[in-house]
Amino acid sequence: MNNLLNAINETCSYIREKVSFKPEIGLILGSGLGTLADEIKNPVVFDYKDIPNFPTSTVEGHEGKLVIGELEGKKVVAMQGRFHYYEGYSLQEVTFPVRVMKALGVEILLVTNACGALSKELYPGALMVIEDHINFIGDNPLIGKNYDELGPRFPDMSSAYDKELIKLAENVGKKLSIEIKKGVYAAISGPNYCSRAELRMLRKIGGDTVGMSTVPEVIVARHAGLRVLGISCVTDMAIADEMVSISHEEVVKVANETRPKFIRLVKGILNEVKL
Amino acid sequence: MNLIEKIKETSEYINKRLSVTPRIGIILGSGLGPLADEVSNATIIKYDEIPNFPTSTVQGHKGQLVIGTLEGKNVIAMQGRFHYYEGYALEQVTFPVRVMKSLGVDTVIITNAAGGVNKDFVPGDLMVITDHINFTFNNPLIGANFDELGPRFPDMSHAYDESLINIAIESAKKLNLNIKQGVYMWNSGPTYETPAEVRMASFLGADAVGMSTVPEVITAVHGNMKVLGISCITNMAAGILDQPLDHSEVIETSERVKNDFISLIKEILKHM
Repeated sequence: MNNLLNAINETCSYIREKVSFKPEIGLILGSGLGTLADEIKNPVVFDYKDIPNFPTSTVEGHEGKLVIGELEGKKVVAMQGRFHYYEGYSLQEVTFPVRVMKALGVEILLVTNACGALSKELYPGALMVIEDHINFIGDNPLIGKNYDELGPRFPDMSSAYDKELIKLAENVGKKLSIEIKKGVYAAISGPNYCSRAELRMLRKIGGDTVGMSTVPEVIVARHAGLRVLGISCVTDMAIADEMVSISHEEVVKVANETRPKFIRLVKGILNEVKL
Repeated sequence: MNLIEKIKETSEYINKRLSVTPRIGIILGSGLGPLADEVSNATIIKYDEIPNFPTSTVQGHKGQLVIGTLEGKNVIAMQGRFHYYEGYALEQVTFPVRVMKSLGVDTVIITNAAGGVNKDFVPGDLMVITDHINFTFNNPLIGANFDELGPRFPDMSHAYDESLINIAIESAKKLNLNIKQGVYMWNSGPTYETPAEVRMASFLGADAVGMSTVPEVITAVHGNMKVLGISCITNMAAGILDQPLDHSEVIETSERVKNDFISLIKEILKHM
């Protein structure tokens, strides 16, 4: 990716050749939520490997698709599978799809993930609207040359998560009788799960949940002026003094069990969101 | 050559020179190298002869593998290690742990010299590591995962083996050694921490700070090895004491700790 602007343009043109309308809402579907993309109507589907300038997966059998179509009456572009820092991508690569979404016309980014709970107020299967984040990855997708066409050199992160969208998520939750928690998401690089001492540290500095994604994408979305809504699915209790162990299998299991509720919430939000 | 092929080439090279299978790996931190001199029937292989091993940039480190018997156990000891601050990738820093695993090692004792953050510590203390904080914002497992070596998302909630911690504490008691327990925070270095950074480390839950060990532990746990970690508190970290660091005291302390440390490791090996 020699020149980010050229790369975005090239990728955008490639997608526009096959899609006649402008998507309004971007969806990044985290672990367990990928099947939501299967409900998109009149879908145009791209394998990541066919999209110019998209990172090539380091993981064999890694399924990644961009699905563009209609969901709950809204024009959406959905990422089924995302790129993670721990896979060895640069954060510019991890966040490139968000740049492309913006260039395609997206105004709102709805980003989801699976995460561990640092707060005892949460429980496995809880849905938490992200109010704020802590970037504890130790890297930033905006390091390097700033392209003023894409956003400011020093973007404000004081209200990265849109207050009205948070309110909307809460109202939709109420209407659907889905409990909505709120809190701060702490992002770490991974790929190992945290030690107990690290969990205590993250709790102490203000994290309610911990995960290995989302924050780089949100930083870039805000840089680009998108409105952001983030929703986490709590898959495990990462409470230092109580936990026995954690396994990826358990995380996947809870994410899958929570999927129907999560999908209802996201669809409810899409249905009611005003552009 | 990918990581798997490198591990294979290196362990085949080492295996050809061995008559026994090492079961316990020992990584010796600064000043603790002399333990390797006590290994009997030793095969010594210099790092610069070993294919795929990084070449050490640090002077004064011996830089060799010592393989043989200690207290009746088949051990492989690293006399000198590779540090992140030397400019190595973490895959290089942790490569010897991969090779140990491939040679047959299932337990590693990882040691270091560390600065004391906990005010109950005094220079000369030995600390059994109960947990760690990776504060380098890097991780040896970033990149493609090789499932043959371990899982994509290894659990780190109990990285340090409980039964080995107990053996270490019991062994210290038997030797009348004052042994502490605590959390080791890994900083990249090579600068020592400022007093403000030490206060932060303390606030975040650290009992000691140092520039090694954690990448090797993460890799060992990824490789499903049992881990025991021991720090020698050679000095108190910046700002903990009112007095300035007295270098002659540090040297005197390390000399004394070295002997305690050697007897402790030998006692632990007896009970493993």
